Amino acid sequence: MGASASQISKELLSEYQELTFLTKQEILLAHRRFSELLSKNQDSLTTRVPQEKVLTLPELKSNPFRQRICHVFSTSEEKDDSLSFEDFLDLLSAFSDSATPEIKSHYAFRIFDFDDDGTLDRTDLEHLVNCLTGDTPETRLTPEEMNQLIHNILEESDIDKDGTVNLSEFQHVISRSPDFVSSFKIVL
Amino acid sequence: MEWNLSGRGTDRSSGYQYHYPDSESLRSRTSSHSYSRPPYPPRAQGEHSPGDETGEGVKALRELPLCLAQKRILSKVSQMKIPVVTKWQSWKLSKSKSMKKLGEEVKEASHYLKLWRKALLKIGENGGEGLFQWERTEVRDCFNQGKQRLVIGTGRRDWERGEGGLVALLSNPSPSVSLPCSLTPLPLSLPGPAECLHYNPSPQGLVYFYSYLLDLLSGTGFMELSALFYGYYQNSEVGVSSQFSYNVPLAYLLTCLFYILLSLTWIVLRSGSGFKLAVVTGDGDLSSYSMSVFCGWDFGLEGEQAARLKQNSIRYELQVELEEDDLRRNAASRTLAQRVCLYTLRGVLNLLVVGLILAAFYCIYRASEQSSILQEDPSVKDNFFLLLLVQYLPSIVITAANFLVPTLCDIIIRFERYSMTMQIKLTLIRLTSLGVLLYSLWNQITCGGEPHESACRPCEYNYAQYPANSLHSCSQCWETRVGQEMYKLMIFDFITGVVVILLVEFPRRMLVDHCSCKPLQLWGRQEFVVPENVLGLVYAQTVVWTGAFFCPFLPLINTVKFILLFYFKKLTLFQNCRPASRTFRSSTSNFFFLLVLLLGLGLACVPLGYSVAVIHPSFGCGPFRSLRHMWDVVPQSLTSLPKTAQSFFNFLGSQAFAVPLFLLSCLVFSYMAAMASVYGNNVAQLKAQLKLEGRDKQFLVKRISELTPANQKKSAGPSGSVVDISETRELWE
Repeated sequence: MGASASQISKELLSEYQELTFLTKQEILLAHRRFSELLSKNQDSLTTRVPQEKVLTLPELKSNPFRQRICHVFSTSEEKDDSLSFEDFLDLLSAFSDSATPEIKSHYAFRIFDFDDDGTLDRTDLEHLVNCLTGDTPETRLTPEEMNQLIHNILEESDIDKDGTVNLSEFQHVISRSPDFVSSFKIVL
Repeated sequence: MEWNLSGRGTDRSSGYQYHYPDSESLRSRTSSHSYSRPPYPPRAQGEHSPGDETGEGVKALRELPLCLAQKRILSKVSQMKIPVVTKWQSWKLSKSKSMKKLGEEVKEASHYLKLWRKALLKIGENGGEGLFQWERTEVRDCFNQGKQRLVIGTGRRDWERGEGGLVALLSNPSPSVSLPCSLTPLPLSLPGPAECLHYNPSPQGLVYFYSYLLDLLSGTGFMELSALFYGYYQNSEVGVSSQFSYNVPLAYLLTCLFYILLSLTWIVLRSGSGFKLAVVTGDGDLSSYSMSVFCGWDFGLEGEQAARLKQNSIRYELQVELEEDDLRRNAASRTLAQRVCLYTLRGVLNLLVVGLILAAFYCIYRASEQSSILQEDPSVKDNFFLLLLVQYLPSIVITAANFLVPTLCDIIIRFERYSMTMQIKLTLIRLTSLGVLLYSLWNQITCGGEPHESACRPCEYNYAQYPANSLHSCSQCWETRVGQEMYKLMIFDFITGVVVILLVEFPRRMLVDHCSCKPLQLWGRQEFVVPENVLGLVYAQTVVWTGAFFCPFLPLINTVKFILLFYFKKLTLFQNCRPASRTFRSSTSNFFFLLVLLLGLGLACVPLGYSVAVIHPSFGCGPFRSLRHMWDVVPQSLTSLPKTAQSFFNFLGSQAFAVPLFLLSCLVFSYMAAMASVYGNNVAQLKAQLKLEGRDKQFLVKRISELTPANQKKSAGPSGSVVDISETRELWE
């Protein structure tokens, strides 16, 4: 149980409120939960928490996309997917109740883009479906089902027929699904 | 916008890059990604530009998909720009800023007031979206009713509590008793025949001890004389001051109409947004695979088991959809013989379902008749339990029918393999069972619509169903009788719900958890099926709407019932149920449920309208006892209004107003239809344009990759190829 010496100052708090979609209560709660991940003497506002510790949070522990989420929101220069407190706030802001659908779909696209190349191609989609159904041999779809499924997805969403789903096409599909906003939500 | 030709090749086709933080790439990122935002850093507060509000500047920062550090840099950059504003504009800006802050704080505070917010969040994260929606429907229903009843009920009760001497009237509610001066009865325009005026529901002679419990459960005896039922109210005017008096019959009628109108407005408003969604996702079948893959995962789920179950359900859904797709492709190649077979099967099954429904209706009708007859049987009257059973007979039969018929239809319809049709059929079955009860009541009260039959002749309704010395002579006030039936239905619905939870779901869980025999494990724990529960709520609400006129406090009691039922259902959800194996698409079903609710409201208005306009009100009880029809109180009150108001209302009812209104609504409607078709055309054109641009993009990318090696080979290069590249760059931007 880490107790951080630094509390959030008022101006910092209001700055966070302006730059994210979180309310004051949510920011304070996030600060408390983040401090629990740190050890005693570490400053919560400047220390980066390694990925393994972040993944112990109950909200992320059983999420099949947890590593991708850490990777997308991490601003670490060493590319080790560690999160600072501000990264954590960014994460919660994108997954919050009041975030706009554009922000959510943008980050969803980045999370699903497993090879970080800016589009969702066949390998990305396969990886995505495996995460959804469970990645063990018993739970994966058969290769025929997978091929059929990916073929159907590309047929439906790939408007310019280049074999990949880019951000606009992704957002176009998402905009027609009203369930997306409510399912893309993490509340502490 | 910068164009970087080096290295990335076709990957740059999206114009998107992830690795940030230097400011040039920042700028290209903000400009390249968004299709709805202007390609320059948004202005933060303190700056004014034509047609731009500062609030939006702050909001736009929040909406950028950048990390916090970069947003901070951006906001500092824009704050450094010197604002050129006049004093008036700067005052306006600061005012709008503080209003926004105030609005946000109010929103945060009202967050706490939202009913059951924490409970709903907890349910949502444990069981997912569908359950969340069920709970929200119940919350909404409950809240809506509570609001209305508080507004209406307290208003009316205050008036009547304020009169003294009303208690004296209770024991002998006949118009001949001398009344306190604040209470003046309206003139009796139609004195009724003597036998119709007698109404004395208070118990005579020795009363059995259990009759109080019986009365509580069935709304007779001491309950009948309370403000709960129609019969209590007098056709009086409460004098507030010398000029102004509160006309009770008019108030009663208008309050009920207002309640119905409020419900209607609220449903229409809520289904408006749902309707938009339903139209937008109307061709959702076209992207069902993409949607189930991209929107399939619920990020709010916590716990290993829940995640595993969700993965199983997603896999199951995908496999089923792929299978059905296969079948559909094969179905097109069905032979004639197979088709004939299929259609005959469907026809037979439909006949079976219809037969089942008709049987249920007949049972309900007979039960309702028998109930009234059996209540007077001396052998039944002496036995408490038998009497209770007989009183509740219609409710029991209806509930049994509501439970059995859908279950049987479910099994039958499974052979037909329809899903939406089934839901619609089941809903209609439930609502029409209520309709049958009302029909049988109508039959008894109005002697089957024959006002000249012997039993009905003097009073035009069946006044003498029970002999004069009976314990419960409630038919002499037929409105109270209807109210009582609705009250009993509601109570019984609640009791059934609680009993099923306690006596069926808990034991089921105990058995499944502790006994490991195969059939039990196959049966498994209870699953919380959202559509059935929501339809149950719709049915309960329809009962309340039907009974609201005859039993004014029914909505309030129903609110309490819903609150208690919520906690019971929550308990059983967490203790007994396993998560649903099929995901429930809540948003599209929301609209369907609201539609069914609207249907229920329509059904409830039919008996109301009929009673108000056609059936003669009881002579011995109620606020309309002196009138020919209940509606007559409105024209009567209109005549007491000043001349201009009267002529205004006359005008509203005349043809000179109705015909232009009709023409105007036709105009508006055709305008809306034209706009809708224009937008549809627009959408189709934009889609085609997107396709075209995609092809252009591919062509250009091919050209670029052809030209780049060619250009690199010739370092000095002829001007032609350089021009080509810049041409393509311009085309690209």
